[in-house]
Amino acid sequence: MYWVSVFTEAGIFAILALGLDVVWGWTGDFDLAFYGYLALGSYMTFVLTIGKPTPPVEYIIGWHLPVLLSIVLAIVVVVGFAAVIGAIALRNLRGIYFAVTTLGAVSAMYLLVENYTPLFDGFNGVYGLVNPGQTALNLTYNGYRIAFGVVVLIVLFLAYLLVQRLSRSPFGRMLRSVREDERAAAAYGRQVFWAKYRSYLFGAALAGLTGGLFAIFVSAFNPSAWTPQELLVIYAAILVGGRGNPRGVILGTFVVYVGFIELTRYLPSPASRPDFGPALRQVLIGLMIILMLRFRPEGVFRERPGVDSEREPARPLPSDAVGALAPAATGGPGVPGVPGVPEGQAADDGGSS
Amino acid sequence: MNTFLVTVGVGLATAAILALSAVAFTLEYAVSRIANFAHGEFLTIGAYVAYSTQGIFHENVAAAAVIAAAAGAAAGLVLNVLVIEQFRGRSAITVLIATLGVALIAENVLTMIYGAANVTYSFAQGNLHHVGPFLWTTSDIEVIISALVVAGLIYLLLQRTRFGKAIRAVSQDRALAQVSGIPARRIIMQTWALAGAVAGFAGFAYAATIGTFGPLLGFNFLLLTITATVAGGLGRPYATLGGALIVGLAIQIAGTYTSSAYELVFAFLLLVLLMLFRPNGVFVRRSSVAVRA
Repeated sequence: MYWVSVFTEAGIFAILALGLDVVWGWTGDFDLAFYGYLALGSYMTFVLTIGKPTPPVEYIIGWHLPVLLSIVLAIVVVVGFAAVIGAIALRNLRGIYFAVTTLGAVSAMYLLVENYTPLFDGFNGVYGLVNPGQTALNLTYNGYRIAFGVVVLIVLFLAYLLVQRLSRSPFGRMLRSVREDERAAAAYGRQVFWAKYRSYLFGAALAGLTGGLFAIFVSAFNPSAWTPQELLVIYAAILVGGRGNPRGVILGTFVVYVGFIELTRYLPSPASRPDFGPALRQVLIGLMIILMLRFRPEGVFRERPGVDSEREPARPLPSDAVGALAPAATGGPGVPGVPGVPEGQAADDGGSS
Repeated sequence: MNTFLVTVGVGLATAAILALSAVAFTLEYAVSRIANFAHGEFLTIGAYVAYSTQGIFHENVAAAAVIAAAAGAAAGLVLNVLVIEQFRGRSAITVLIATLGVALIAENVLTMIYGAANVTYSFAQGNLHHVGPFLWTTSDIEVIISALVVAGLIYLLLQRTRFGKAIRAVSQDRALAQVSGIPARRIIMQTWALAGAVAGFAGFAYAATIGTFGPLLGFNFLLLTITATVAGGLGRPYATLGGALIVGLAIQIAGTYTSSAYELVFAFLLLVLLMLFRPNGVFVRRSSVAVRA
């Protein structure tokens, strides 16, 4: 049963990673608001299904809708929220400014949820969505969890097919052209903002779906369950798997969640320091992010866009070469520094010019 | 006593700490053209080192400040050499992600050493003083004066010394500075040490003011720092001071008239509004056009 829950969790986060990869991997915008979308999706799923709050607990709405309908509505709300943030952040902000704006927006939302209890009951959070439909399906508790895990993996597979199809479509190729050189894409008549905006909303919809599934998985949700640090784990998973490669992203998520997090569970944690083990795990994740970025930014599986899978698409300057250039450029004094490798050539250089 | 003026006084004390942190952040940006998301950790490290050496220096404020600054400088140097310079020539966003990784590491190393719970670190705040229309504690006054002194020193350093001239040259064009005979790499390292020292000191001042803190002290302060920096204009040290003043006062005033729990909500909404209308800072006219970094 333990492994079922581990794989279910990894499957849920793989869907989130797919959505995040559409935004970061394809269009090159480093977004820090994504965990907020998952949270909002979760909260909405809760308040739409668990019925009226009993004082002193308080939250908005409090309907008794079927869980599937609630998830759909939650996705609509998340996309609406992302539409506002995306409209602000994507309009003319790129690179650092985009990251900072999304972080600012999600932090404001986070603090509001924490402190304004009528919304989602502040720090206490919402709970009470325990195995929806278990009696209707006539399943035991364990049977339900297994069935739920299977459903998650099926949803993941469907999301993968959708993303993969989108990746190969003209739309996917246009997003990549925008990432590689926004001005060139605009010069060829592409609507850069709309392309980015649509992909952003698509990614947010997947995050909302993840939120709904996560709500069923954890059956309780409060602000401490979502912090910017959690999102870094997803980014680490994408980096490991290979940015822009849906199959790689899914595999990376499973490697990070099943392999990494489960293995590090056995790290020693002295009785006097209960925080030691989890903290050490986070340290390792941080190290993994830095080392992947430095030495293999394209991940284990490279991005393989293109029309037909037979022909190997022409790669831009391999990032290994970039890595080799960087130390050379910082040679002894008197050697003129080699100006940075032109933007858009390194594999990790998503659209930031 | 006028509530508004008291609020402004408290806002000035907040702004002073914010100004120190923001100036350091903007210096890092100026020479390396990257947003250092591990900047908050300089503050945290400064605060924890001051806390750890409490037993040695007792209530000596000056000694604690110096040791916090020294720890921050060391952290700045290490980050520059081990991470920032390793990523030279890579896009700014790649370095941003790497520094986020560093922040994660630093936070959790501190958690491993000190535990995740808050530690108590308090100096006597001193008596209340009426200074003009404002009401400040002794430590408020110390913080404000030291911020003014540090700002003045940075001004003199940048404008009147060879080192400052070299910093300005490197921040305009690293390659050109290098061919003009400026040891750019060394200047950048020293700038990071300087920024780290200022941030470490700010961390000590912040921790001493709020009295209790945890490993997330700096990371939580980072976004506020960025808001102040953006309000002034990234990479412009003097304008950053103005930005810190605006943000410090704005959140204090907004917080007083609603609820202090929402102070930071206002700050981050302000950040989003700045990004929407004045991404290059409030002191630059008509700047809502494309910003790339």
